[in-house]
Amino acid sequence: MVDSRAIKRIDKYLYEIDASFRDDMRVPARLYTDPELLEHALGDASVDQLVNTATLPGVVKYVLAMPDIHQGYGFPIGGVVATQLPDGIISPGGVGYDINCGVRLLGTHISEEEVRPYLDELATAIYNHCPSGVGKGGEIKLKTGELDRVLEEGSRWAKSRGFATDEDLERTEVGGCLEGADAGAVSAKAKERGHDQVGTLGAGNHFIEVDVVRDIYDEEAAQRFGLFAGQIAVQIHCGSRGLGHQVCTDYVQRFQQAVQKYGIRLPDRELVCAPLNSPDGQAYLAAMKAAANYAFANRQVLAHHVRRAFEEALSGKVRNPYVFQVYDVGHNMAKIEQHEVDGERITVCVHRKGATRAFGPYHPDIPSAYRDVGQPVLVPGSMGTASWVLRGTEEAMRQTFGSTCHGAGRAMSRTQAKKKVWGGELREQLEGQGIRVRAGSMSGLAEEAPSAYKDVDRVVEVMHGSGIATKVARLVPIAIIKG
Amino acid sequence: MRRIPRGIEAVAHNDRAIWEKCFKRKALDLNSSLFEATSFCVTMGGMLKGFEEVEHTADIALRVRGRDLRELLVNAALGLGTLLTDHVDMPAEAVQTRPVEVDAFDPESLLVGWLSELIYWAEKDRFVCRAVEMQEISSTHLKAICIGSCVPELRHHIKAVTYHNLQIVQTDQGLETTVVFDV
Repeated sequence: MVDSRAIKRIDKYLYEIDASFRDDMRVPARLYTDPELLEHALGDASVDQLVNTATLPGVVKYVLAMPDIHQGYGFPIGGVVATQLPDGIISPGGVGYDINCGVRLLGTHISEEEVRPYLDELATAIYNHCPSGVGKGGEIKLKTGELDRVLEEGSRWAKSRGFATDEDLERTEVGGCLEGADAGAVSAKAKERGHDQVGTLGAGNHFIEVDVVRDIYDEEAAQRFGLFAGQIAVQIHCGSRGLGHQVCTDYVQRFQQAVQKYGIRLPDRELVCAPLNSPDGQAYLAAMKAAANYAFANRQVLAHHVRRAFEEALSGKVRNPYVFQVYDVGHNMAKIEQHEVDGERITVCVHRKGATRAFGPYHPDIPSAYRDVGQPVLVPGSMGTASWVLRGTEEAMRQTFGSTCHGAGRAMSRTQAKKKVWGGELREQLEGQGIRVRAGSMSGLAEEAPSAYKDVDRVVEVMHGSGIATKVARLVPIAIIKG
Repeated sequence: MRRIPRGIEAVAHNDRAIWEKCFKRKALDLNSSLFEATSFCVTMGGMLKGFEEVEHTADIALRVRGRDLRELLVNAALGLGTLLTDHVDMPAEAVQTRPVEVDAFDPESLLVGWLSELIYWAEKDRFVCRAVEMQEISSTHLKAICIGSCVPELRHHIKAVTYHNLQIVQTDQGLETTVVFDV
């Protein structure tokens, strides 16, 4: 276990573990946190896991932990690790099993007052339109060979099927399609798991939430993102479903042997990896991109379902039921990007596992409508609590490879949560706060109880206070739709 | 009447009533001495459980024991079955047998490869394995027949089996390991 004495405070919200802490560390480890959140982090193995990632071949500058860090498998959740091309490693564990799990934020022209009388109908309509639950398939039937198009084209496939607008694609990270995805690198089993799940929410911590924009912190950015106080917005949180899980499973298994081949020594087998310029590394990268595209398409189809639900429930009852896209960003991904390290611009593979890309103003990868204010960052809170819209900064480019936190971060195990909270009671509590709940499973609801998570406001304060991603708007839920 | 292939390793619950309900009386022609002979796979002779759920921050973990690798792998499969479903009833007409072969690199990757097959089936058509006929086994290879059924719904959605701190260790009673599932 990492002793807290080995962790030096170097700024108000920044802590460092020197590379000399363990013989096998190649770079230091940095944590963006505050004393209370740090204590949380030291309560599980997450800081040890962070130190483990500092041993990976090709790792540059330092490895990073965001304030929502918690224990994962191999890599901590809330970790950022950049490795240098050509021969730095890529690790499936550094992306996670739910490849391109992420958040999409939709905006509306509807105010809270307008929707309140129809909130029950709206929540029910969304629940009915968006298939959810364990292993549930959707209504989208893919023709033979069409899944390969989803994998290689992502949201562009969705647009060709009439599920997306040009604006949706423009307002999605990388336009909703990672170039270089190869459906051939995805196993038949992964495709089997994914063939009927496009446009489905799944279970676990994934959700759709109807929110009200409660507070605006940055008028200019909020206006640019199309957000205003009192506005109804929708968040969709999900990923690549069974397909992504199988891609990760396949490559973690394949890399068990690959690490021997490349002579890589690891402190944890879940960290298995391969050099980016090796056939194994390239195969995983192409498969991961395919799974990421699947996730973009999945959230796009869900957004389409949400639009239909809004029309069905609110048409003729509110002035304008139109739902537009604010942004869509992943928080489990490895991306090839250019960053400055020691005064030199180099190409790195940035692993963000439970961390969100947060590019600063004028980065060419930001949609033109937002370019001068920075990339929108979407930080969902735990169920029933606030969520945040932040914006990426120059500071993020300098300090964190353009990355920030991704959510509240789990503080209690699912089993613990279920012992402490009963699903039915939690539902009553949420309903008592005026939040409508549509959930397929009560025990699934209890597992995601807000008390099982860290305080998202506190997590966001650390990122804001260190200037990595600054506050734009705070959202609170009024309806929760879950599997 | 369908028969479970001979040499069956274990059942999911060390409860004779359930055993009889699932397999013997309603479904399958098996004699109770076979039950006696196989029940240790689940209970380690009544001393220790063959598997139990343990706490892990973000996920679900299963502690699995066995006198040898064969038992360990069987108990891991049965433990996974109990994580996947509460349904203990398996009507005769629903019983399926599915062959599986796994090649791996060492015992740990064999365990992961084996459980990954079962997770794949769970997601594909909600098939849950309740008994195993282990036909061939070495530290890097197994060939088995899984006996189970497709259940109406799953208790947990298990994304994957992980290598998180995965190590099969030798104990006084045999082998033990803790498998963490990503959920």
